[in-house]
Amino acid sequence: MDIRAMLTVILVMAPFGGAILCIVLGSSKAIRSAIVLATGAVLIVSALMLAPLVPFRLSAATFLGVDLHRIIQVADVALLLIILYYGFKHRQLTVIVLAALQLGLTIYLEGFLVKGPLPVERIFCDHLSLMMVLIISIVGSIICFQAIPYMENHEHHYHVMRSRQPRFFFVMLLFLGGMNGLVLFDDLVFMYFFFEMTTLCSFLLIGHDRTTIATRNALRALWMNSVGGAAFILGIIAAYHETGSLGLQKILTPWLAGSGVYLLALALLCLAAFVKAAQFPFQSWLLGAMVAPTPVSALLHSSTMVKVGVYMALRLAPGFTGTLLSQSVAVFGAFSFLAGAALAVGQSNGKKVLAYSTISNLGLIFACTGLNTAESMIAAMLLLAFHAVVKAMLFLSVGAIEQHIESRDIEDMRGLYAVMPLTALITVSGVIMMIMPPFGVLLSKWMAMEAAAQNLYVIVMVALGSALTVIYWARWAGTLMSDPFAGRFRPEHQPALTWLALGPLCIGSALLSVGAPWLYLRMIAPMMMGPYSPAYAFKAGGLENAYGTFAILPLSVVATLGLVVAAVALKRAFRAKIVSPYLSGLQTGEPSMFRGPMNQSVKAEAKNYYLDTIFGEARLTDWVNLGGGILLTLILGGAL
Amino acid sequence: MQGIKRFINQLRAKSPWLLHFDCGSCNGCDIEILACLTPVYDVERFGIIHVGNPFHADLLLTSGTVNHRNKKVLANLYSQMPSPKIVVAIGACGLSGGIFREAYNVVGGIDKVIPVDVYVPGCPPKPEAIIDGVVLGLGKLQAPQERNGERKEA
Amino acid sequence: MTETAVLILCGLIAGPVVGGLVSGLDRILTARMQSRIGPPLLQPFFDVVKLLAKEPLVVNVWQAFCAYCYIAAASIALVLFFLQSDLLLIFFVQAVGAVFLVVGALSSTSPYSQIGAHRELLQILSYEPLLVLVVVGFYLETGSFKLTDIYAWPHPMLLKLPFLFIVLGYALTIKLRKSPFDLSTCHHAHQELVKGLLTDYSGPFLALTEIGHWFEVVLMLGVCTLFWATSWIGMAVLLAVTYFLEVLVDNVTSRMNWRWMLSYVWGVGLTLSLVNLIWLHQG
Ligand code: SF4
Repeated sequence: MDIRAMLTVILVMAPFGGAILCIVLGSSKAIRSAIVLATGAVLIVSALMLAPLVPFRLSAATFLGVDLHRIIQVADVALLLIILYYGFKHRQLTVIVLAALQLGLTIYLEGFLVKGPLPVERIFCDHLSLMMVLIISIVGSIICFQAIPYMENHEHHYHVMRSRQPRFFFVMLLFLGGMNGLVLFDDLVFMYFFFEMTTLCSFLLIGHDRTTIATRNALRALWMNSVGGAAFILGIIAAYHETGSLGLQKILTPWLAGSGVYLLALALLCLAAFVKAAQFPFQSWLLGAMVAPTPVSALLHSSTMVKVGVYMALRLAPGFTGTLLSQSVAVFGAFSFLAGAALAVGQSNGKKVLAYSTISNLGLIFACTGLNTAESMIAAMLLLAFHAVVKAMLFLSVGAIEQHIESRDIEDMRGLYAVMPLTALITVSGVIMMIMPPFGVLLSKWMAMEAAAQNLYVIVMVALGSALTVIYWARWAGTLMSDPFAGRFRPEHQPALTWLALGPLCIGSALLSVGAPWLYLRMIAPMMMGPYSPAYAFKAGGLENAYGTFAILPLSVVATLGLVVAAVALKRAFRAKIVSPYLSGLQTGEPSMFRGPMNQSVKAEAKNYYLDTIFGEARLTDWVNLGGGILLTLILGGAL
Repeated sequence: MQGIKRFINQLRAKSPWLLHFDCGSCNGCDIEILACLTPVYDVERFGIIHVGNPFHADLLLTSGTVNHRNKKVLANLYSQMPSPKIVVAIGACGLSGGIFREAYNVVGGIDKVIPVDVYVPGCPPKPEAIIDGVVLGLGKLQAPQERNGERKEA
Repeated sequence: MTETAVLILCGLIAGPVVGGLVSGLDRILTARMQSRIGPPLLQPFFDVVKLLAKEPLVVNVWQAFCAYCYIAAASIALVLFFLQSDLLLIFFVQAVGAVFLVVGALSSTSPYSQIGAHRELLQILSYEPLLVLVVVGFYLETGSFKLTDIYAWPHPMLLKLPFLFIVLGYALTIKLRKSPFDLSTCHHAHQELVKGLLTDYSGPFLALTEIGHWFEVVLMLGVCTLFWATSWIGMAVLLAVTYFLEVLVDNVTSRMNWRWMLSYVWGVGLTLSLVNLIWLHQG
């Protein structure tokens, strides 16, 4: 068997195997942990082994002697029936209707529309797929590792009688396999199956705690994603109708651009992508998903599941270059970027800030996809990679913080440095990596801005949005450090697996940022074919094109120097005289206390500005939903 | 090294930022202090800036009797000033408690709480006298060996 | 290589020297407008040296860290400007400094620092988009974000981007913390703010923030020169007029609140820049 085929099989099937083992043998903690760790290790190794082999296409006709298409058909119908079952179980009419609709459309497609033998070159792995595989396998596995101590704590905290962790890890691993499948297959029907699988997994994971609110939010995620699923299958039907093919690469041959139904098919697929990526007005499922245990939020909503949306859009982009559809996707994405950032400013709930920031960043990726130039596509792919890593790290730190202080409110994290110094520092460095040069997220934002400068609507929204982004991150970082005086640095106690997840993610994202030029040269430049061309040259340690330079390496060196100087200053500051902050001369000597009326000690408190009269959820949500809805209509209408 | 030290001391005298604290005065002295800071006297000529915050101040201009309630505040403010720092006590009250000296709540004089470098008598002193006191204080910034609790009268 | 080294050195020296002189000039001009004589021209240098020589007091050790990061970022931004790098990149680097200054202030629990820091964040929120749009204006006119290309452009930019120059004026006023936008820290707001953002920075750390601010002032003035980059005289006149207007505005207006700032600056600034950008786009 070809090594590439073998790796593909491992990447998709190993998590399924691990998942099944989890549910069969996983009632003991040690075995369960071993299974999860082993599966993660296998995934990481295979993903890394896959790296030098791309790009390739392979035929996949049969699996264990059975026609692969048939297997997927059956599995697909089974999956939809399961969703239908949950719809009936929870008496959710929307879910039932949408699942039934999808079932009908699937049967129509498979039974009546598709004729003749299908081409079997179904596996397609280029650098974009590889990037996704790496993210899913490495970041996803790390998140699963951290979930082991987290879930232990979690169940301990909620006094769960019978552990439901086998089921939890079953779904988590299943999910990883599904994601890998989605990005490795080229056949739309296969992609649709895996798409639906991630929908079902997210439903199960969000509802894991079985509280009323968890169930409600899980159902919301289910029906919204089913809208995406329905759009997906409609898109497949339209695409097949027009091109007579189910292979995505075949469909995207540029000669078809311009035909109405063809563009409609792409627009429908984009709609599915928007739903998966929780763009406005579908954001509420992602926000609701924040009730789930934090590793779930990290897995679903930072690094992997929502990235499916942008992955699809990036795949489809060459099909609609230079159309109105492309332009409206750009405006829609920019709008999401702005609206997500604005809503994040109004939030004091840390996880919600992360959620809105995810929506916002994905919006920027969509905007870049819609701009559809070589520069913007590069920006989109870089942002995809960097955001996945940094955001996963932030989610995991917030999870660790949340379990420690039992709150996810930013106000309660005030002065966290005094309580959990190392986690606070990791969180702050995550924040720094989100908004500051020379780190990768900002590098890609810079590319995005330079690529968007031609498009007035997009650049104005991106400019406003990026200013808002700075606000909510800086505020959070400052709040974590807000402490009267920080004494000697003593890392707090955390489970080893937590450090094992946070440490590599933190160091890895910093190194990845320094390695951005090579990331570009190795992973992204080879993708720039067809309508795109490799737009940047690696010169003088930075990326450069005709109108812009981003000196990554020199800046990294200088930034490191600055950091060293500042660190020395920090060390010397420990020797300086420590005084109370200015409290009008009334400080009592205890931290933040001042002498109030009747000689009582009163705590001096200042809360953060959240500006909720302007950026509050209650005020903005309806408007952004309206805006998102209008733009979506524009996208679908513009396609016709 | 000596030269640099002298140079820096020179500059200290050229840039005295002052903090004004009313430690329980009748407000007579404070009106005069604030009068010094008006454009009429234009003390910014000498680099004097009126700051609101002990962290930034070199000179503490303080008036009033000092009572048991606010002596702690006075000490706190003084402790938050980075050295070298100069304290100028203004008015009869600041010097000794003045006409309130015998009152039950009065500590009586700034130097009961913190070391004072310059005393400016008067009830209240004229702005010119206050400026003169500040200038004396600047001399001490310039020649730090003269400090250490040695008292001078303006 | 030597040329690069010279330019780097120029940037590192020009920041504090020119910035300090500008600040001294500013204080003299202000004094004259208030019919005073004002301090000597070199007063800002006296102040900074004095502060550097004071005893270091800290309320939170991270404040020292942040002060150094601030000045590092501010100086790197100016050096990048002298090296004629990418304009957008320079703004991002400059923003790093602004963020560290805020984080340093937030690390103190004093309510005055906290409020000042939040107001500073709102100031950043107000001016950042405007600066980005000004840069976009340069790009639409010259087709490049690189300063080399922008300086090489044969026509004075002011004629093509008059509204964007006004927009830059707004950003400049906020960045220089001049009235009516001196919300986050200023010498005159003892009652409400003490010294806002800078309340708990003291001695050497305060000096660092001051020098960092000079770097930023020089950087902003450098951006102003881009509007008349074709002749030295044009540059000088433009700078002189702009800075004089800044001081004048500072003296004739009073401090406003952040709501007004945000709505006014975004409203007027965005409208003006949009009009100008649409011209460029169509022209
Ligand atoms: S010295 Fe005289 S003017 Fe000054 S506070 Fe005392 S009583 Fe008032």
